[in-house]
Amino acid sequence: MVRQENLKKIIGIPRAISYYNNYTFYYGFFKSLGIEIVLSDKTTTKLINEGSKYVVSDTCLPVKVFVGHVINLLNKGCNTVFVPSIQSTGYKINNCSKIRGLPEIIRNVINRPFKMIEPTLDKTEGFGIKEFCFETAHQLGIRDKKLINSAISSGREMYNRFLEMAKSGIPHGEAVENAVKGNYVLKKMSLVKPLSVVIMAHGYNLFDERISMNILNKLNKMNVKAYTCLDITRTDAINSIHELDEIQYWANELDLTGTAAYFMLNKKIDGIIALSAFGCGPDSLMVDEIQYHANERKIPMLHLNIDEHTGEAGFVTRLEAFTDMLERKKRKQLLQCNKPKNIEIAINKKQIQEPKVLTKVK
Amino acid sequence: MKAKISERQLNKYSKNMDNTISAKDRIIAWPRMGRIDIPLKALMLSLGAKIVIPPANSNEALELGVKNSIEGICLPYKLNLANYIMALEQGANTLMMFQAPGSCRLGNYTKMAQKTLKKMGYEFDMVIFDMYQSKMKQTLQAFWHVTRCINPFKYYKGFSLGFNKFFAIDEAQKLLFYTRPREIHKGDAEKCYNKWLNIIDNTNSISGAKALVKRIRKDFANIQINKNKYVPVVYLLGEFFVLLDPYVNQDIEKTLGESGIEVQRQIWFSEWLEGVLKPSFLNKKESHRQKCVRNARKYMKRAIGGESIETIGDAVYAAKNGVDGVIHILPFSCMPEIVSQNILNKVSKEEDIPILTLVLDEQTGKTGYITRIEAFVELVKRKKIMRNSEMKKKKEDLVNV
Repeated sequence: MVRQENLKKIIGIPRAISYYNNYTFYYGFFKSLGIEIVLSDKTTTKLINEGSKYVVSDTCLPVKVFVGHVINLLNKGCNTVFVPSIQSTGYKINNCSKIRGLPEIIRNVINRPFKMIEPTLDKTEGFGIKEFCFETAHQLGIRDKKLINSAISSGREMYNRFLEMAKSGIPHGEAVENAVKGNYVLKKMSLVKPLSVVIMAHGYNLFDERISMNILNKLNKMNVKAYTCLDITRTDAINSIHELDEIQYWANELDLTGTAAYFMLNKKIDGIIALSAFGCGPDSLMVDEIQYHANERKIPMLHLNIDEHTGEAGFVTRLEAFTDMLERKKRKQLLQCNKPKNIEIAINKKQIQEPKVLTKVK
Repeated sequence: MKAKISERQLNKYSKNMDNTISAKDRIIAWPRMGRIDIPLKALMLSLGAKIVIPPANSNEALELGVKNSIEGICLPYKLNLANYIMALEQGANTLMMFQAPGSCRLGNYTKMAQKTLKKMGYEFDMVIFDMYQSKMKQTLQAFWHVTRCINPFKYYKGFSLGFNKFFAIDEAQKLLFYTRPREIHKGDAEKCYNKWLNIIDNTNSISGAKALVKRIRKDFANIQINKNKYVPVVYLLGEFFVLLDPYVNQDIEKTLGESGIEVQRQIWFSEWLEGVLKPSFLNKKESHRQKCVRNARKYMKRAIGGESIETIGDAVYAAKNGVDGVIHILPFSCMPEIVSQNILNKVSKEEDIPILTLVLDEQTGKTGYITRIEAFVELVKRKKIMRNSEMKKKKEDLVNV
């Protein structure tokens, strides 16, 4: 007994799939359970190649990346890996099969001895967040109810803080870092940019700098404001999907259709950029859905498909062409109006209305 | 909040039924898959509805579907859409389709098809069998909505005709797969099968339909077969639509049967229908799915949608019961089957069974496809001979000692 308590428990979290949306929750949860977290390295081309050796070629890029990260963790000497299976996030709102079966893929594809922590989140069957966390803790050998409950609430706290920070406009990576360190930073104000677009993409595609080819930075350099799924709340996303007369079918749908629908309906954006992995089943449908509504509203849309061979040069060219087109369109719109000066002022006023005070806790 | 959302969704689904077309003017059509048109035709006709049957899936249909659907969607949707278009061109105004949420992209088919067809300028009403709530009730409701038939005897007649025809077709196919590799005169089994399809189609009485299965068995027993022939058995697993539609799988059963292999397909429409519509307390036997879940436990602990767990379970079952090989077919970019493809690699190694995976899409070339099947057939046959000779040796050794 004494030995077990003295042994420090370590869990490895791959930097892929659910890391990008839920890492702050996992961090708070595991830290207050007294478990140390090991993260895998950031995604590199080498890591992707390593991952794609293990799975069949038709598997989509994010799963290949996930396998790569698991291998990376194992190479680091971490023998316990956290592989959650997120089946559904609401009644009959299911996830993509590959994400649902992530533990099954990992178990059968990697032939090395290691322990896999594989809790299931399935709200259709009544396994909510609480059951998910309890299962995780049980698999790690922790059975103290009070401890687990307090761990859940501290995880939630950290997660909410991360969401607030991200919503104020802090980039994803920084927000995660600040939340993990316990800082609370809000962005004061943002510069007004001539163009704004919304990017519809899964968190694990968009915030991974290798997979998304750093699209957020590139747009920033091109002087384009990019809205992402972190800029809106969950309820907003659901409501705007309903407003378009659609229903939520996929668990990850809020990242894509929810975000795109919200900005399409409520804010004046100049264009939509869809970023999806090649062979992604849900994305092919969701992008089509938004394309349909964007066509009705005459909003230009760019669909970028990525896989492990995507060349950066072609990617940039397409982005540049798209932004150039948006610029030309906007200029034409402004010129067509009789009083261009007034309109410019109106636009500026609207966008500078929401400055927030910089506050720091701790 | 969450409860509200799900209620809202349910409402949205049931709203789909509109009454703009009166029951008399309705001309009903549904997508093709294998020969499900025969039982459904009997059912609809006995409910007093007018129907249109779109032509069977073909290159032409596929071209039409590919032209009007998005790039990333899977093959079954493309063919379904083509069936709808062809039916609408022939004068149909009511389209029927079932949808099961939570499986895979199938749940989105109807929504997308509706949008696409409306964009193309067709006017129609789509009736959806929604498997969200009680399944039998939903099905009856959908049929009532389409036909406005209130005579319960007609329902009884329709359903018993339909069910019995489903069972008869599946029985005929099973016997065809058994007889084809063993027949002495080539083509006998095929002829017999086609003859029975015609007879099944023309049966119009309940008693006649109930007797079909027995008559089919008798007739197939009359075909001359070579009972002593070594016939390797191959399981056919994979995605539902691809397995059941002979155009999409390029009649793989025929190719295999003619090269002397007995095919045992594991997915049957009648079995599936029974599983869906029969109330669970009437099921005394272990269902196919339960059996698969039990067998697959070593490799898969949870169902992940689609027929993935069935594929794994059947492959393991095949290995344990002396089946000589497994052929796994899936449409390109099918999500659940890609997971099972990943897992099957390990199953093949650990259970020592040859598995061939065939990915089908609209560009599959027939020659390459057949070459791969032929190579696999040779492998399976050689393995069977090796195994038999090993067994003989062992037996001889035992006798000698």
